[in-house]
Amino acid sequence: MLLLQLLINGVALGAAYALVALGFVLILNATSAVNFAQGDLVMVGGFVSVAAAGLIPVPGIVLLPLVVIFMAVFGLGFSLLAYFPLKSRPTVSVFISTIALGIVFQNGANALFGPEPRVAPPLITGGTLKLGEFIISRQSLSIIVVAAILIAAQHLMFAKTQFGRRLRATAQNRRMAQAVGIPVNWMIAATFAMAAALAGAAGLLLANQHFVSPTEGSDLIIKAYIAVVIGGWGSVPGAVVGAMLIAMFEVILSAYISYPLATGLLYATLLAILFFRPQGLFGEILQKRA
Amino acid sequence: MKGYHRLLTAGTALALAATIAPATAQEINFPVIVPVTGILAIEGKAQRNGALLAIRQAAIKVKHKVIDTGSKPAGAANALERALSGGGVTAVVASIFGPEMLAMMPIAKDAKVPLLTISGTAKITELGNPYVFRFFPGDAITKVAHADYVVSVLGKKKPAIIYQTTAYGQSGRKHLVDNFKKLGVTPVMQEALSFSVKDMLPVLSKAKKAGADVLVVHLHSGPTALLIKQAAAMGLNLPIVAGSAMHQPTTAALLEPKELAGVCAESGSSPISGGGPAMKSFLAAYKKMFGSAPDAFSLGAYDAVNMALKVVKGGARTAEAVRAGLSKMTYKGLAMTYKSDGKGNMAHSAVIMCYDGKTRVPTIVKTYVNVSGVL
Repeated sequence: MLLLQLLINGVALGAAYALVALGFVLILNATSAVNFAQGDLVMVGGFVSVAAAGLIPVPGIVLLPLVVIFMAVFGLGFSLLAYFPLKSRPTVSVFISTIALGIVFQNGANALFGPEPRVAPPLITGGTLKLGEFIISRQSLSIIVVAAILIAAQHLMFAKTQFGRRLRATAQNRRMAQAVGIPVNWMIAATFAMAAALAGAAGLLLANQHFVSPTEGSDLIIKAYIAVVIGGWGSVPGAVVGAMLIAMFEVILSAYISYPLATGLLYATLLAILFFRPQGLFGEILQKRA
Repeated sequence: MKGYHRLLTAGTALALAATIAPATAQEINFPVIVPVTGILAIEGKAQRNGALLAIRQAAIKVKHKVIDTGSKPAGAANALERALSGGGVTAVVASIFGPEMLAMMPIAKDAKVPLLTISGTAKITELGNPYVFRFFPGDAITKVAHADYVVSVLGKKKPAIIYQTTAYGQSGRKHLVDNFKKLGVTPVMQEALSFSVKDMLPVLSKAKKAGADVLVVHLHSGPTALLIKQAAAMGLNLPIVAGSAMHQPTTAALLEPKELAGVCAESGSSPISGGGPAMKSFLAAYKKMFGSAPDAFSLGAYDAVNMALKVVKGGARTAEAVRAGLSKMTYKGLAMTYKSDGKGNMAHSAVIMCYDGKTRVPTIVKTYVNVSGVL
């Protein structure tokens, strides 16, 4: 019974981490640059949810589209500052610019909202469902459902739509995509918008269950980075699997051994993967594609 | 003769001016060097606000400049060097963050400038630095109250200790274990949580499995609220006695009043729980100036600055004179009576407060006065 309860909590946390990791992978594939501000974009999404809930006191599910749209626009602005002015420079310039903007976002949130953790509204309703001895948080279930819908929608968009194919073409080979008439810069801007929109959704989902504070992003970016390394650098399904794996270490393993030991084992697993399978769990697909 | 008298009067006036001038011309300068950003920003801002309110209410003009340390020891050391570089510093309102204090202390000792802090880290007053003055009860005081309340008042014998992996958490755990041992109680579980832990179900399940009859918590603000929220959600039905982070109104604001039912916490004080006219006046002035409710950290910083100002009003004009005054004076502040134990520990009392499940305002249920026996 406890294991099932832990599993649901783990999947809910993993689903939220997966949204963070997916946004990270999208930008990585489109630009070959690591966006170190992805965690801070999640934090911004969390605070936007808190602010929106203050203005419009409705459940999170109603706010979700508003937050996603706002963050998509925010992502466009982010690309104009962090990526486009530096796109012809070495990729390390973009690393640095995203770190710098992340710090600006942290201090901006601190100045606007204060350093205190804040709580966003639940997606539908708070509280728990009790089925015999089994107690499950409604928010956890909502997170799993909403994250699954968002991940599936993103997968369908990439696989089945012309827009998605253009985005993939841009990610695979920018010069070739440009040669066949794909507006590459627009595709990259759209990728930033989507990554920020996913961050916004993750921010809203996490800010109810786990609160949001200005320094939240630093921790999330480390988890996204690990998820992507475990899953395979640039692999979309790998990012989801990597995020789930991190959550399972954090929630299930730590229920049986101590938290510090579970964290140590997570990093040991990461090192083992880097040693025995440096391309990550889903790395072969990436190699074939390359 | 007349001329002689004029000369004498003028000479006396000049002599008087010469004696008074250094005292009046000497500016009172209290730089406020605290974390306003970074992981300790909540506590740092509370400390800053309390100090600024005391400075604003002071009868004398106090020069002050707030410098953000960024919750980083190097930032704190640089900020102190910068503040001291202009000279004329009377005393420094210094960071609540223990590691930052440890970085600032050697600099303050060299410059012979007193540091007024509310940091709970035990080590800062154990290094023999005569320029450190702590205006918040450290773990050596609060954990006596924490453990005693659990065992003697609640009658619990199987505590599960949940603490942070940080220096703050480790220090609290050590003092809790020591005090439980003195009371003949052995914790049934001890678990350290890092700041990044999001899901509290594993640790709560372990406490339940270990047969705990009370959760003794020593976590920072966010993790404390997360743990209480999840304990309420899973219907754990165990009393929770938390560390001082729980007393902060900003922590309680993250929780519904019903989630707080059965939750108690230790602290140096609880300004929002009310008190006499002076406390009410402090509460009103603080809310007017900052638009939020004060916590024990604000009050500790407020009392610290007011005590230093009392020393200044008593004639101390140099940093060294202020240090000497602080180390000798007994001062009745709003939170408690302060007196140095010879190591710079000024606060010797603690309170336990509990939430009734109906409001976010706790009630003080027990006061532990003069725990160290210094007063």
